[in-house]
Amino acid sequence: MVTTVHTRQPLEPSRRLASVWSYRELLWTMVLRNLKVKYQRSLLGFVWTLVNPLLTVTILVLVFSHVVRIPLPHYWGFLLSGYFVWNFMLQTLNTGTYIFAEHSRLTRSVAFPSEILVFGAAGSRLIEFVAELSLIVIVLAVFLHHAVPVSFTLLPVLILLQLLLAVGLALPIATLSVFYYDVYHALPIALTTLFYLSPVFYPAQMVPEAARELYFLNPMAGLLTLYHVVLYNGQAPEPYLLGGMALGSLAIFLIGYAIFNRYVDVFAEIV
Amino acid sequence: MPSSTATSTFSPKSSEPVAAPAVELRGVSKRFYFYEHRTSSLREWFIRRVLRRPLHVRRAEFTLRAVDLRVERGESVALVGPNGSGKSTALRLIAGIYRPSTGRVETNGRITAVIELGAGFHPELTGAENIALYASVLGITRRELAARYDEIVEFAAMSDFLDTPLKYYSSGMEARLAFSVSVCLQPDILLLDEVLAVGDQAFRERCLHRLRAYHDRGGTLILVSHELDQVRALCQRGIWLERGEVVRDGPIDEVLAAYRAKPR
Repeated sequence: MVTTVHTRQPLEPSRRLASVWSYRELLWTMVLRNLKVKYQRSLLGFVWTLVNPLLTVTILVLVFSHVVRIPLPHYWGFLLSGYFVWNFMLQTLNTGTYIFAEHSRLTRSVAFPSEILVFGAAGSRLIEFVAELSLIVIVLAVFLHHAVPVSFTLLPVLILLQLLLAVGLALPIATLSVFYYDVYHALPIALTTLFYLSPVFYPAQMVPEAARELYFLNPMAGLLTLYHVVLYNGQAPEPYLLGGMALGSLAIFLIGYAIFNRYVDVFAEIV
Repeated sequence: MPSSTATSTFSPKSSEPVAAPAVELRGVSKRFYFYEHRTSSLREWFIRRVLRRPLHVRRAEFTLRAVDLRVERGESVALVGPNGSGKSTALRLIAGIYRPSTGRVETNGRITAVIELGAGFHPELTGAENIALYASVLGITRRELAARYDEIVEFAAMSDFLDTPLKYYSSGMEARLAFSVSVCLQPDILLLDEVLAVGDQAFRERCLHRLRAYHDRGGTLILVSHELDQVRALCQRGIWLERGEVVRDGPIDEVLAAYRAKPR
C-alpha cells in the first residue's frame, strides 16, 4: 500500500528522485512517443533530421573556408565535430521551453513528476544525436583520420556531460516560461547570441588570450572544445578541461533541478 | 511516525493491519492567487517594481478553508455543491496535483484521478498507442497494463479502431477510451470529476455498472457531479461543500435532501 502525504513543502530531493524512478516507464514511453510523432507519415524520416544541419554545415564550410578564411586544415571536419552538438543543445532548449505549455492539460489533471516531460524531450533528441554522431564518427575516421583514433572512446563521457548540461539548462528555462511568456521572445535571441559566443564555426584558440577565461565561463565553450579535441584532433583532452566541464555540467544540472523543484508545485495552478 | 496508526485508538494486536483511511485531509486550506492579475511580462514587472506603480493588486482567495475530511477504504463519496465551492480543488488536492496551502493530505493506496478525460492522449498516435501512453502517465507498468489491456478494449468497445490515429475519433469515442483506461486499471482510490456524462446512453449505463462493480470489490470512490440522481445511485455518503467549507457530511439521502432544500 502506497502512502502519500502532501503538505505545503516541496518534495525532498530523495523523494523526488524516487518518484521519477517509479515513473521510468513513462520516460521511455515519452521518448518513443516523441520519435513516433515526429517520424510517422514521413517517407524520408530521419533524413530530414540530417538535411537541415547538413545544409547549414555546407554553407558554413563554403563561407568560412573560401570567404572569411578560418585557418584550419580540413575545416569541414572541424565544423562537423561541433555543429551537431550545438544543434542538439539548441533543439533541446527550444522544445524544453514549450513543453509545459504543450502539456498543460496533462499537468493540470494528472499528478506525475513533470520533469519527465523535459527528460523525455532531451531523451528523444539524444537518440537522434547518437545516430547523427555515429555517422560523423564514420565520416571522420574514414576521410579525416584514415583510422579510428583512441580518443573516440571518450565520446560516451562527452555525451553524458552534454545531457547533464542540456537538462540542467532546460529545466530552469522551462520553469521560467511557465511564469513569464517573455521567455518565448527572449530565448531565440539568447540562443543566437550564444551561437556567436560559442566555438561552433571558429576554434576557441582564436579567442584573444586576455578574454579566454571569461569566454570559458560559457559552458558551451568547454563542451564544444572537448568535442573538437576528441573528434577533430583525435586527441585526449587536457584533464583540467574534462574535469572542469564535468564539475560545471553537474553543478548546472543540480542548480537547474533545484530551481525547478522549488516552483514545480504550482505549475498545475498556472499552465 | 505514520499518522495512520496514531489516529486509530484501538489497534488490534493481531496480524490484521490497522485500517488506515483511504484519504485523510487535516486542516487543509487552499489559497489561490488570481493570476490574471499576475505579472506575466517583463513590461508589467518593470512598471511594478521599477516605477513602483501598483499595476495590479494580487488577490488571494481561499478555495478551501481548514477542511477536515476522512474517507475510509471502500467508501463511496459524492462531493456536491455549487460551482466554485471547492469540489474540484478538493479532488485535485487528494490526487496530489495541487499542494495544500496549509494542513496535510494523506492518501493510502494507488490513486487514479480522472479530472479531464483524455489528458495525455496524443492526436497523432493510434488508439492502442494512446492506451499505453495514458496508462504510463497514470503510473501503470507495462506488465500491469498487459494484464488489463483486453478488458479496456472490450469495455470501450473499440477493437475496430485500435490502429486508427486518435484524431479521427469522435469526441465521444475519445472519452470512452479515456474512461475505460482509468476505470479498468482498478486503482485503490478512484477520483472522478464530472466525467460521467460521456458517451452514449448505453455506455453511460455500462459505466455506472462498472463503477458499482469497482466499489463492490472494495474500491474507494470519490466523485464530483451535478447530476444528483446519478450520485444517489452510486454513493452512500455525501459531502456538501459551500465556499470551501463543509456544510454537511452524512448519508447521501440526507445530504442531497438538505442540498436540494437550500434556498437559492
